[in-house]
Amino acid sequence: MLKKNKKVNTDTAPSHVPAPVEGKTIIGEQITIDGTIQGKEDLLIEGSVKGRIEVEAHRLTVGSRGQVEAEIQAANVTISGRLVGNINATGKVEITKEADFNGEIKAKSISVEDGAYLKAVIELEREPGKKPVPAIKPEDKSASEPVKEPLILAGKSTGKS
Amino acid sequence: MATFATSADRPWKDPDLEPNAIEYNSNVLQLFMEGLDCQPPGQVLDLGPVCQENISFFARRVKRLYVCDMFIRLERCLGKGDSVGRIWQELDYPPESFDGILLWELADRLDDKEVRTLVKLCHTILKPGGMAVVLVLGEQIARFGVNSFVVGQDFKVRLRPQPHLHLPIRSRQNRDVLAMMTPLNPAKSFICRPGFMEFLFTRD
Repeated sequence: MLKKNKKVNTDTAPSHVPAPVEGKTIIGEQITIDGTIQGKEDLLIEGSVKGRIEVEAHRLTVGSRGQVEAEIQAANVTISGRLVGNINATGKVEITKEADFNGEIKAKSISVEDGAYLKAVIELEREPGKKPVPAIKPEDKSASEPVKEPLILAGKSTGKS
Repeated sequence: MATFATSADRPWKDPDLEPNAIEYNSNVLQLFMEGLDCQPPGQVLDLGPVCQENISFFARRVKRLYVCDMFIRLERCLGKGDSVGRIWQELDYPPESFDGILLWELADRLDDKEVRTLVKLCHTILKPGGMAVVLVLGEQIARFGVNSFVVGQDFKVRLRPQPHLHLPIRSRQNRDVLAMMTPLNPAKSFICRPGFMEFLFTRD
Protein backbone atom coordinates (compact mmCIF):
# COMPACT_ATOMS: atom_id res chain seq x y z
CA MET A 1 0.00 0.00 0.00
CA LEU A 2 1.21 3.51 -0.74
CA LYS A 3 1.44 5.42 2.50
CA LYS A 4 2.46 8.85 3.64
CA ASN A 5 4.46 8.95 6.79
CA LYS A 6 3.34 12.52 7.42
CA LYS A 7 -0.31 13.17 7.02
CA VAL A 8 -1.67 16.45 5.69
CA ASN A 9 -4.43 17.91 7.77
CA THR A 10 -7.05 18.25 5.03
CA ASP A 11 -9.55 19.79 7.43
CA THR A 12 -7.56 22.98 7.86
CA ALA A 13 -5.55 23.25 4.62
CA PRO A 14 -7.25 25.31 1.88
CA SER A 15 -8.17 22.97 -0.97
CA HIS A 16 -6.93 25.33 -3.71
CA VAL A 17 -3.39 25.63 -2.32
CA PRO A 18 -1.05 22.67 -2.98
CA ALA A 19 0.11 21.38 0.36
CA PRO A 20 3.91 21.40 0.69
CA VAL A 21 4.23 17.87 2.01
CA GLU A 22 7.77 17.05 3.07
CA GLY A 23 7.03 13.43 3.65
CA LYS A 24 8.00 10.14 2.23
CA THR A 25 6.08 7.67 0.16
CA ILE A 26 6.36 4.07 1.25
CA ILE A 27 5.75 1.18 -1.09
CA GLY A 28 4.83 -1.58 1.30
CA GLU A 29 6.00 -5.14 1.40
CA GLN A 30 2.86 -6.53 -0.24
CA ILE A 31 2.92 -4.12 -3.20
CA THR A 32 4.29 -4.96 -6.66
CA ILE A 33 4.71 -2.24 -9.26
CA ASP A 34 5.70 -2.73 -12.89
CA GLY A 35 6.25 0.55 -14.71
CA THR A 36 7.57 4.05 -14.12
CA ILE A 37 7.47 5.85 -10.81
CA GLN A 38 8.02 9.61 -10.86
CA GLY A 39 7.93 11.67 -7.72
CA LYS A 40 8.89 14.84 -5.96
CA GLU A 41 9.47 13.44 -2.53
CA ASP A 42 11.50 10.74 -0.86
CA LEU A 43 10.55 7.17 -1.62
CA LEU A 44 11.01 4.03 0.49
CA ILE A 45 10.50 0.70 -1.22
CA GLU A 46 9.84 -2.39 0.87
CA GLY A 47 7.88 -4.14 -1.86
CA SER A 48 8.72 -5.14 -5.44
CA VAL A 49 9.31 -2.64 -8.22
CA LYS A 50 10.30 -3.30 -11.81
CA GLY A 51 10.79 -0.52 -14.34
CA ARG A 52 12.00 3.03 -13.87
CA ILE A 53 12.17 5.27 -10.80
CA GLU A 54 12.65 9.04 -11.04
CA VAL A 55 12.80 11.05 -7.82
CA GLU A 56 15.42 13.42 -9.10
CA ALA A 57 15.80 15.85 -6.23
CA HIS A 58 15.01 13.34 -3.52
CA ARG A 59 16.14 10.20 -1.75
CA LEU A 60 15.28 6.68 -2.81
CA THR A 61 15.64 3.98 -0.19
CA VAL A 62 15.39 0.29 -0.99
CA GLY A 63 14.54 -1.17 2.39
CA SER A 64 15.79 -4.51 3.63
CA ARG A 65 12.69 -6.25 2.27
CA GLY A 66 12.67 -4.33 -1.00
CA GLN A 67 13.19 -6.05 -4.35
CA VAL A 68 13.90 -3.63 -7.16
CA GLU A 69 14.82 -4.14 -10.79
CA ALA A 70 14.96 -0.66 -12.26
CA GLU A 71 16.75 2.28 -13.81
CA ILE A 72 17.02 4.90 -11.09
CA GLN A 73 17.40 8.67 -11.13
CA ALA A 74 17.61 10.25 -7.70
CA ALA A 75 19.58 12.72 -5.63
CA ASN A 76 20.59 10.16 -3.04
CA VAL A 77 20.08 6.42 -2.89
CA THR A 78 20.28 4.02 0.04
CA ILE A 79 20.21 0.29 -0.61
CA SER A 80 19.52 -2.27 2.09
CA GLY A 81 17.54 -4.74 0.01
CA ARG A 82 18.00 -6.28 -3.40
CA LEU A 83 18.55 -4.00 -6.37
CA VAL A 84 19.37 -4.93 -9.94
CA GLY A 85 19.77 -1.97 -12.26
CA ASN A 86 21.58 1.25 -12.89
CA ILE A 87 21.68 4.24 -10.56
CA ASN A 88 22.30 7.80 -11.64
CA ALA A 89 22.57 9.90 -8.50
CA THR A 90 23.51 13.55 -8.22
CA GLY A 91 24.53 13.01 -4.61
CA LYS A 92 25.52 10.00 -2.57
CA VAL A 93 24.80 6.29 -2.92
CA GLU A 94 24.87 4.31 0.32
CA ILE A 95 25.02 0.51 0.30
CA THR A 96 24.52 -1.24 3.62
CA LYS A 97 25.80 -4.64 4.63
CA GLU A 98 22.34 -6.16 4.06
CA ALA A 99 22.30 -5.04 0.43
CA ASP A 100 22.51 -7.23 -2.66
CA PHE A 101 23.32 -4.94 -5.58
CA ASN A 102 24.09 -5.73 -9.19
CA GLY A 103 24.41 -2.87 -11.65
CA GLU A 104 26.03 0.44 -12.46
CA ILE A 105 26.39 3.44 -10.18
CA LYS A 106 27.11 6.98 -11.29
CA ALA A 107 27.28 9.27 -8.29
CA LYS A 108 29.13 12.09 -6.63
CA SER A 109 30.13 9.86 -3.74
CA ILE A 110 29.52 6.39 -2.40
CA SER A 111 29.60 4.54 0.88
CA VAL A 112 29.61 0.77 1.15
CA GLU A 113 29.49 -1.26 4.34
CA ASP A 114 31.70 -4.32 4.72
CA GLY A 115 29.67 -7.41 3.96
CA ALA A 116 27.50 -5.95 1.19
CA TYR A 117 26.93 -8.41 -1.67
CA LEU A 118 28.12 -6.44 -4.61
CA LYS A 119 28.69 -6.71 -8.32
CA ALA A 120 28.95 -3.17 -9.54
CA VAL A 121 30.41 -0.75 -12.02
CA ILE A 122 31.16 2.50 -10.26
CA GLU A 123 31.83 5.91 -11.74
CA LEU A 124 32.54 8.73 -9.33
CA GLU A 125 33.77 12.25 -9.93
CA ARG A 126 37.43 11.75 -10.76
CA GLU A 127 40.44 13.39 -9.19
CA PRO A 128 42.52 15.56 -11.51
CA GLY A 129 45.01 13.51 -13.54
CA LYS A 130 48.48 12.96 -12.20
CA LYS A 131 51.78 13.37 -13.96
CA PRO A 132 52.56 10.30 -16.06
CA VAL A 133 55.44 8.10 -14.94
CA PRO A 134 57.42 5.48 -16.84
CA ALA A 135 55.58 2.25 -17.52
CA ILE A 136 56.45 -0.90 -15.60
CA LYS A 137 58.49 -3.49 -17.41
CA PRO A 138 58.44 -7.19 -16.56
CA GLU A 139 61.33 -8.28 -14.38
CA ASP A 140 64.03 -10.47 -15.78
CA LYS A 141 65.20 -13.38 -13.63
CA SER A 142 68.26 -11.54 -12.39
CA ALA A 143 66.17 -8.64 -11.17
CA SER A 144 63.65 -10.76 -9.36
CA GLU A 145 65.18 -10.39 -5.91
CA PRO A 146 62.44 -9.06 -3.67
CA VAL A 147 62.97 -5.65 -2.15
CA LYS A 148 62.53 -5.58 1.57
CA GLU A 149 59.87 -3.29 2.88
CA PRO A 150 59.51 -3.26 6.66
CA LEU A 151 56.03 -3.68 8.07
CA ILE A 152 54.97 -1.01 10.53
CA LEU A 153 53.00 -2.22 13.52
CA ALA A 154 51.15 0.64 15.15
CA GLY A 155 53.97 3.05 14.37
CA LYS A 156 56.74 0.61 15.21
CA SER A 157 58.94 -0.96 12.59
CA THR A 158 59.23 -4.72 12.84
CA GLY A 159 61.92 -4.96 10.21
CA LYS A 160 64.76 -6.94 11.72
CA SER A 161 68.07 -7.28 10.00
CA MET B 1 52.83 -27.87 -2.14
CA ALA B 2 49.88 -26.06 -0.66
CA THR B 3 48.76 -26.86 2.86
CA PHE B 4 45.28 -26.41 4.17
CA ALA B 5 44.11 -24.90 7.43
CA THR B 6 41.03 -23.15 8.67
CA SER B 7 41.91 -19.79 10.11
CA ALA B 8 38.59 -19.02 11.76
CA ASP B 9 39.47 -20.68 15.06
CA ARG B 10 42.87 -19.08 15.54
CA PRO B 11 42.57 -16.13 17.92
CA TRP B 12 45.58 -13.83 17.91
CA LYS B 13 47.22 -13.29 21.25
CA ASP B 14 49.76 -10.56 20.67
CA PRO B 15 47.88 -7.24 20.69
CA ASP B 16 50.58 -5.68 18.50
CA LEU B 17 49.76 -8.24 15.85
CA GLU B 18 46.04 -7.63 15.75
CA PRO B 19 44.99 -6.75 12.21
CA ASN B 20 43.80 -3.29 13.19
CA ALA B 21 47.33 -2.49 14.38
CA ILE B 22 49.02 -3.56 11.16
CA GLU B 23 49.84 -1.10 8.45
CA TYR B 24 52.49 -0.89 5.76
CA ASN B 25 53.39 1.15 2.73
CA SER B 26 52.39 -0.68 -0.42
CA ASN B 27 54.97 -0.41 -3.17
CA VAL B 28 52.92 -2.60 -5.46
CA LEU B 29 49.81 -0.44 -5.23
CA GLN B 30 51.91 2.64 -5.91
CA LEU B 31 53.37 0.99 -9.02
CA PHE B 32 49.91 -0.18 -10.02
CA MET B 33 48.50 3.35 -9.88
CA GLU B 34 51.56 4.82 -11.59
CA GLY B 35 51.10 2.27 -14.36
CA LEU B 36 47.46 3.26 -14.75
CA ASP B 37 48.36 6.95 -14.75
CA CYS B 38 50.61 6.36 -17.79
CA GLN B 39 47.62 5.75 -20.01
CA PRO B 40 44.18 7.24 -20.61
CA PRO B 41 41.78 6.64 -17.71
CA GLY B 42 40.97 2.96 -17.76
CA GLN B 43 39.00 0.23 -16.08
CA VAL B 44 39.96 -1.65 -12.93
CA LEU B 45 38.34 -4.73 -11.41
CA ASP B 46 38.42 -5.20 -7.63
CA LEU B 47 37.67 -8.76 -6.51
CA GLY B 48 36.97 -7.76 -2.92
CA PRO B 49 36.23 -7.99 -0.08
CA VAL B 50 34.19 -4.84 -0.62
CA CYS B 51 35.81 -1.93 1.16
CA GLN B 52 34.41 1.58 1.26
CA GLU B 53 37.79 3.27 1.35
CA ASN B 54 39.16 1.28 -1.57
CA ILE B 55 36.09 1.89 -3.69
CA SER B 56 36.41 5.63 -3.16
CA PHE B 57 40.18 5.53 -3.65
CA PHE B 58 40.15 3.68 -6.96
CA ALA B 59 36.86 4.97 -8.38
CA ARG B 60 38.17 8.54 -8.21
CA ARG B 61 41.35 7.61 -10.04
CA VAL B 62 40.10 5.42 -12.88
CA LYS B 63 37.39 5.82 -15.46
CA ARG B 64 35.30 2.94 -14.22
CA LEU B 65 35.80 0.73 -11.19
CA TYR B 66 34.26 -2.72 -11.36
CA VAL B 67 33.69 -4.46 -8.05
CA CYS B 68 32.82 -8.13 -7.90
CA ASP B 69 33.35 -9.46 -4.38
CA MET B 70 34.55 -13.03 -4.93
CA PHE B 71 35.31 -13.50 -1.24
CA ILE B 72 31.66 -13.29 -0.21
CA ARG B 73 30.67 -15.41 -3.18
CA LEU B 74 33.21 -18.02 -2.14
CA GLU B 75 31.91 -17.86 1.44
CA ARG B 76 28.32 -18.45 0.34
CA CYS B 77 29.35 -21.17 -2.09
CA LEU B 78 31.30 -23.08 0.56
CA GLY B 79 28.48 -22.52 3.06
CA LYS B 80 26.00 -24.18 0.72
CA GLY B 81 28.40 -26.98 -0.15
CA ASP B 82 28.34 -25.98 -3.82
CA SER B 83 31.20 -26.49 -6.23
CA VAL B 84 33.62 -23.54 -6.06
CA GLY B 85 33.83 -23.60 -9.85
CA ARG B 86 30.37 -22.06 -10.02
CA ILE B 87 31.51 -18.69 -8.72
CA TRP B 88 33.67 -18.01 -11.76
CA GLN B 89 30.62 -17.45 -13.94
CA GLU B 90 30.31 -14.14 -12.09
CA LEU B 91 33.46 -12.95 -13.86
CA ASP B 92 31.60 -12.84 -17.16
CA TYR B 93 33.37 -9.77 -18.48
CA PRO B 94 34.37 -9.47 -22.14
CA PRO B 95 37.98 -10.34 -23.06
CA GLU B 96 40.55 -7.56 -22.63
CA SER B 97 38.24 -5.38 -20.54
CA PHE B 98 40.56 -4.27 -17.76
CA ASP B 99 43.74 -2.30 -17.32
CA GLY B 100 44.14 -3.69 -13.83
CA ILE B 101 42.76 -6.36 -11.53
CA LEU B 102 43.04 -6.31 -7.74
CA LEU B 103 43.08 -9.92 -6.60
CA TRP B 104 44.39 -9.13 -3.10
CA GLU B 105 44.76 -12.44 -1.23
CA LEU B 106 42.04 -14.34 -3.10
CA ALA B 107 44.48 -16.97 -4.37
CA ASP B 108 45.40 -17.83 -0.77
CA ARG B 109 41.76 -18.82 -0.23
CA LEU B 110 41.55 -21.22 -3.18
CA ASP B 111 42.99 -24.62 -3.97
CA ASP B 112 45.53 -24.95 -6.77
CA LYS B 113 42.97 -25.95 -9.39
CA GLU B 114 40.74 -22.96 -8.67
CA VAL B 115 43.72 -20.58 -8.64
CA ARG B 116 44.60 -21.74 -12.15
CA THR B 117 41.01 -21.18 -13.27
CA LEU B 118 41.06 -17.71 -11.73
CA VAL B 119 44.39 -16.81 -13.35
CA LYS B 120 43.20 -18.01 -16.74
CA LEU B 121 40.11 -15.83 -16.40
CA CYS B 122 42.16 -12.84 -15.32
CA HIS B 123 44.50 -13.34 -18.27
CA THR B 124 41.49 -13.33 -20.59
CA ILE B 125 39.82 -10.22 -19.21
CA LEU B 126 43.02 -8.20 -18.77
CA LYS B 127 44.07 -5.99 -21.65
CA PRO B 128 47.55 -6.61 -23.10
CA GLY B 129 49.91 -4.81 -20.73
CA GLY B 130 47.32 -4.94 -17.97
CA MET B 131 48.36 -5.48 -14.36
CA ALA B 132 47.24 -7.73 -11.52
CA VAL B 133 47.92 -7.15 -7.80
CA VAL B 134 48.35 -10.32 -5.73
CA LEU B 135 49.09 -10.62 -2.02
CA VAL B 136 50.47 -13.73 -0.38
CA LEU B 137 49.97 -13.54 3.35
CA GLY B 138 51.96 -16.34 4.89
CA GLU B 139 51.01 -18.16 8.06
CA GLN B 140 51.63 -15.29 10.50
CA ILE B 141 49.20 -12.86 8.90
CA ALA B 142 46.80 -15.46 7.54
CA ARG B 143 45.92 -16.64 11.05
CA PHE B 144 44.06 -13.38 11.53
CA GLY B 145 41.33 -14.63 9.22
CA VAL B 146 40.09 -12.68 6.21
CA ASN B 147 40.91 -8.98 6.08
CA SER B 148 40.34 -6.20 3.67
CA PHE B 149 43.44 -4.22 2.77
CA VAL B 150 42.35 -0.65 3.25
CA VAL B 151 44.30 1.74 1.04
CA GLY B 152 44.95 5.16 2.52
CA GLN B 153 46.97 8.22 1.71
CA ASP B 154 50.41 7.63 0.18
CA PHE B 155 49.48 3.98 -0.36
CA LYS B 156 49.58 3.21 3.33
CA VAL B 157 47.61 0.00 3.78
CA ARG B 158 46.00 -1.25 6.97
CA LEU B 159 44.22 -4.50 7.59
CA ARG B 160 40.57 -4.58 8.62
CA PRO B 161 39.06 -7.88 9.76
CA GLN B 162 36.07 -9.22 7.87
CA PRO B 163 34.31 -11.26 10.54
CA HIS B 164 31.55 -12.30 8.17
CA LEU B 165 34.07 -14.26 6.10
CA HIS B 166 35.40 -17.61 7.31
CA LEU B 167 37.48 -18.85 4.43
CA PRO B 168 40.23 -21.47 4.57
CA ILE B 169 43.81 -20.42 4.00
CA ARG B 170 46.28 -22.16 1.73
CA SER B 171 49.89 -21.45 2.62
CA ARG B 172 52.19 -21.63 -0.37
CA GLN B 173 55.81 -21.08 -1.18
CA ASN B 174 56.47 -18.04 -3.33
CA ARG B 175 57.75 -20.18 -6.18
CA ASP B 176 54.45 -22.10 -6.14
CA VAL B 177 52.54 -18.83 -6.36
CA LEU B 178 54.66 -17.67 -9.28
CA ALA B 179 54.14 -20.98 -11.07
CA MET B 180 50.38 -20.84 -10.60
CA MET B 181 50.13 -17.29 -11.93
CA THR B 182 51.36 -18.39 -15.37
CA PRO B 183 50.67 -17.09 -18.04
CA LEU B 184 50.79 -13.74 -16.22
CA ASN B 185 54.33 -12.40 -15.90
CA PRO B 186 55.83 -11.30 -12.58
CA ALA B 187 56.76 -7.62 -12.83
CA LYS B 188 57.67 -6.75 -9.24
CA SER B 189 57.58 -8.38 -5.84
CA PHE B 190 58.08 -6.97 -2.37
CA ILE B 191 58.47 -8.61 1.01
CA CYS B 192 56.40 -6.80 3.61
CA ARG B 193 57.38 -9.15 6.42
CA PRO B 194 58.46 -12.79 6.50
CA GLY B 195 55.91 -14.71 4.51
CA PHE B 196 53.88 -11.66 3.52
CA MET B 197 54.54 -10.59 -0.04
CA GLU B 198 53.05 -8.30 -2.62
CA PHE B 199 53.27 -9.19 -6.31
CA LEU B 200 52.55 -7.22 -9.44
CA PHE B 201 51.90 -9.33 -12.51
CA THR B 202 51.42 -8.13 -16.07
CA ARG B 203 49.86 -9.57 -19.17
CA ASP B 204 51.93 -9.62 -22.39
